[in-house]
Amino acid sequence: MATTYDAIVIGGGHNGLVTAAYLGRAGRKVLVLERRERLGGAAVTEEIFPGFKFSMFSYVVSLLRPEIIRDLDLPGHGLHILPLESTVTPMVNGDYFGAWSDHDQTRAELMRHSPKDAEAYDEYGRLMYHMAHAVRPILGMVPPDPTSMSPRDLMGLLKVGKHFRGLGAEQFHALHKLMTMSSADFLDEWFETDVLKATKSASGIIGTFLGPRSPGTAYVLLHHYMGELDGVFRAWGFAKGGTGSVSETIGAAARRFGAEIRASAPVTRVLVKNGRAIGVVLENGDEIRARTVLSSLDPHRTFLQLVEAKELPDDFLGDIKRFTFRGSSGKVNLALGALPNFTCLPGFGPHLRGAMSISPSLEYVERAYDDAKYDEFSREPYMDIVIPSLIDPGMAPPGKHVMSIFVQYAPYHLNGGWTDAKREAFGDAVINALERFAPNIRSCIEHRQVLTPLDIERITGLTEGNIFAGELSLNQLFFLRPAPGYAQYRTPLAGFYQCGSGTHPGGGIMGASGRLAALAALKDGA
Amino acid sequence: MSLSYDAIVIGAGTNGLVTAHLLARAGRKVLVLEQATGEPASRDIGWIPPQVIADLSLTKAGLTIDTADPWAAIALEGGGRLELSSNLQRTAEAIGRLSARDAAKWPEFCARMHKVASVLSALYSQPAPDVETTEPGELLRLGLLGLKVKGLGRQGMIDLLRLLPMSVADLLDEWFENDALKAVLGIAGVMHLRQGPRSGATAFNFLHHHVGSPPGVFRLPASNLSHVLAGLPGVEVRRGAQVTRIRVAQGRANGVVLKNGDELAASLVLSSADPRATLLGMLEPGWLDPGFVRAVGNIKCRGVAAQVSLTLAAEPSFKTLSVAPSLNYIERAYDDVKYGRVSANPWLEARANGRQVDVHVQYVPHTISDGKALGDVVVQKLCEHVPGLRESITARFVLTPADLAAQGLTEGQRYHGELTLDQILFMRPVAGWTRYRTPIGGLYLCGAGTHPGGGIAGGAGRLAARQILNDPRL
Repeated sequence: MATTYDAIVIGGGHNGLVTAAYLGRAGRKVLVLERRERLGGAAVTEEIFPGFKFSMFSYVVSLLRPEIIRDLDLPGHGLHILPLESTVTPMVNGDYFGAWSDHDQTRAELMRHSPKDAEAYDEYGRLMYHMAHAVRPILGMVPPDPTSMSPRDLMGLLKVGKHFRGLGAEQFHALHKLMTMSSADFLDEWFETDVLKATKSASGIIGTFLGPRSPGTAYVLLHHYMGELDGVFRAWGFAKGGTGSVSETIGAAARRFGAEIRASAPVTRVLVKNGRAIGVVLENGDEIRARTVLSSLDPHRTFLQLVEAKELPDDFLGDIKRFTFRGSSGKVNLALGALPNFTCLPGFGPHLRGAMSISPSLEYVERAYDDAKYDEFSREPYMDIVIPSLIDPGMAPPGKHVMSIFVQYAPYHLNGGWTDAKREAFGDAVINALERFAPNIRSCIEHRQVLTPLDIERITGLTEGNIFAGELSLNQLFFLRPAPGYAQYRTPLAGFYQCGSGTHPGGGIMGASGRLAALAALKDGA
Repeated sequence: MSLSYDAIVIGAGTNGLVTAHLLARAGRKVLVLEQATGEPASRDIGWIPPQVIADLSLTKAGLTIDTADPWAAIALEGGGRLELSSNLQRTAEAIGRLSARDAAKWPEFCARMHKVASVLSALYSQPAPDVETTEPGELLRLGLLGLKVKGLGRQGMIDLLRLLPMSVADLLDEWFENDALKAVLGIAGVMHLRQGPRSGATAFNFLHHHVGSPPGVFRLPASNLSHVLAGLPGVEVRRGAQVTRIRVAQGRANGVVLKNGDELAASLVLSSADPRATLLGMLEPGWLDPGFVRAVGNIKCRGVAAQVSLTLAAEPSFKTLSVAPSLNYIERAYDDVKYGRVSANPWLEARANGRQVDVHVQYVPHTISDGKALGDVVVQKLCEHVPGLRESITARFVLTPADLAAQGLTEGQRYHGELTLDQILFMRPVAGWTRYRTPIGGLYLCGAGTHPGGGIAGGAGRLAARQILNDPRL
């Protein structure tokens, strides 16, 4: 055994890399171990077909914490976000609904559908802006443990209480509603245009195993409103070079701070001695020692696979086993020889540079969920479609394009299990549903990659293919993420920490978990 | 017109009568106006908080509470029934015949749920906490509630915080494996709610229906409360008197107008009708500001429960019978109503009282009122499990949400507003108006649409009366 390290980070996804960068920045000697041959976890760019590069899983960026961008000087390492300007939803009657980054344009579009909604939209936007601001500090906060009597936790609770009371009555009530309502009911209170509600509520179901009419989805609506790019709230964008470049720039920052990053180095076990993590064992049998070990893998992988059960308390293991994943989304990546032609907006237009949402009505999205409830993939799924090559031409050969289709619902636990035939049937369902709105799509396709939750799990390691490393449901948030009493990045083992999206504040390319975990470990003297 | 009453109470349901009697006992002259002409209900379903019983000495007045035992009997797919009683041991044995694993967990499940429900029970016996308050008294009360929560211990606190937003299906899947057991428990999670067992926060609705019951009992008791309240002296009750409008002058309520044109004056008007019907239906629109009107209009009260009452020639073989083979069955029943249809295969629960059988049926949207078809489906489903039932029926009466809506109950929702996390405690009936007051001086709400909500007989009525009696200006 050669070198020892101050800290080992298991997993080279964006959170693991953020942790490594922060530890390196604090002068620690850090080693990152990534199972795959490339960095990034679910934030990777891969040339799946020759000349066609895809953000294979995660495909848009918005939630990345500004303090991380600053602290790690990510733009200096090459991070460049290209904004996404619109979301257009084709409707069954051939019309469409478009929301644009230009406020006046969106307002004009709303006027076309409902002057009442156009009126409400401004007020709604203001409210969501305030709500997102109200919740934002929580994202950067270590969750206090309400069951604890320690002064630190009591102070933390008091701080959270004071924060929410400081919002004022109107905002507090609105926030309470957002935390508890269904996105459909919440939107019903504001708008009458069905396609508008469908498109907005669709962002409330992403990554969950709930339909838009189920309480608990309005919160996810807000989660997606919280993005911040260059100080502009709720802007979404592509990373130039695909989402893999986000991971690469964070990796570059970590290396600049002295971190060593090793790919193709799967960790099989965390070494534990006397209730303390002392290092890891690699698949090839190598043992590497470190004073601190941090896992960015999801809670199941971390505690049920890397650590022997006898090293952990039973009730903690019970809590971890109860933590649910239930992957519900799939991904279809298309290499296109030509651009799709949408019936609602024929020919080339700015709408193709933004997102196209296949969510023509609330009922459509709800029915997509119904299929999943009974363990089938949606016959007519909700889809969020982008064509990154129109904004970043380097992603595809000249004149050709890549299309990324996020699809919901595709349950991990499919009736009879996923097979190659089922995967293709799922891909066909996606193309069929898309064909209704873009009839030429089939003739544009040169290659097709279909990823089921099972594939996502197999490739990225995310349990059950859950894109948030654990469902973002209210009972799995804040001090309950991933388990009560262990939501502060620490674990029952001394010197062992969790730093992935399975901890507060959870999924999306945010990096907050990685940062807060590094700070927690440093505070403990790592 | 002389000011002949101190207070007029709209509605002679349990909440309206409890309010009326408590005000009368404090020396107020009270008139209760009830639109129905018939006799008061002979049977009420709901937990009666002990304070209500004590304040009105209801036990002495002849109150009888019927805690059916077994409290549920669910028909099993292969024939036979699973009976759940308040005796944990006996229930565990019954469950054990289906699943030894579930039987072993039953006692702990019951203890844990009861502990969490005890917090709700404390919350339901006092006015909703005002989380924005700066008043020392209210802050103290909040602190005491906080201590009560802390007093649950670590496991209890985690249960409370974790369970409330969960779906009842997720909760039950964590504990049990047997479909019939999960279904019979899951029913409590979707009772009077336009949600399926897989919807978020149905675990809260499940706990709500456990409040006040002993460990291991997850159904509300029945009682003769309406009957007893109607027999109490001290208030004048006028039946067949439908209030069409609440009179307001200079921003204050000063009486009501009846359908027959009569006007009655009083310095206080209390409505136990639902908040939407009261505030949007009985007031001249101009008196309320648009923001408040919007908030009231947004109260979700989508009725989904129908009742089929059967009169039989002889007492049936069962005291209670549930038809709901699995959580998925209930979920599919919900899918229908999501798209505006009556459940093709509804779940139902029958309770027998002598020769009278009342069947609770879900889901029936308030937009459809085909009682005949619904009655047929219910009888058909029951007959599959009770041979000879059809021949025994001498009378049948169907009450759909549409029928209730026609009587003035908004969307036929019996709880006057769905019990979801965004519509309870300091959010009930609408945020900022949780102390039974309304923007109209002298007009109060005292029905199930206010805290602590439906399924708790007299709870809201008692707290509303206390609010008024504690107000030094009244």
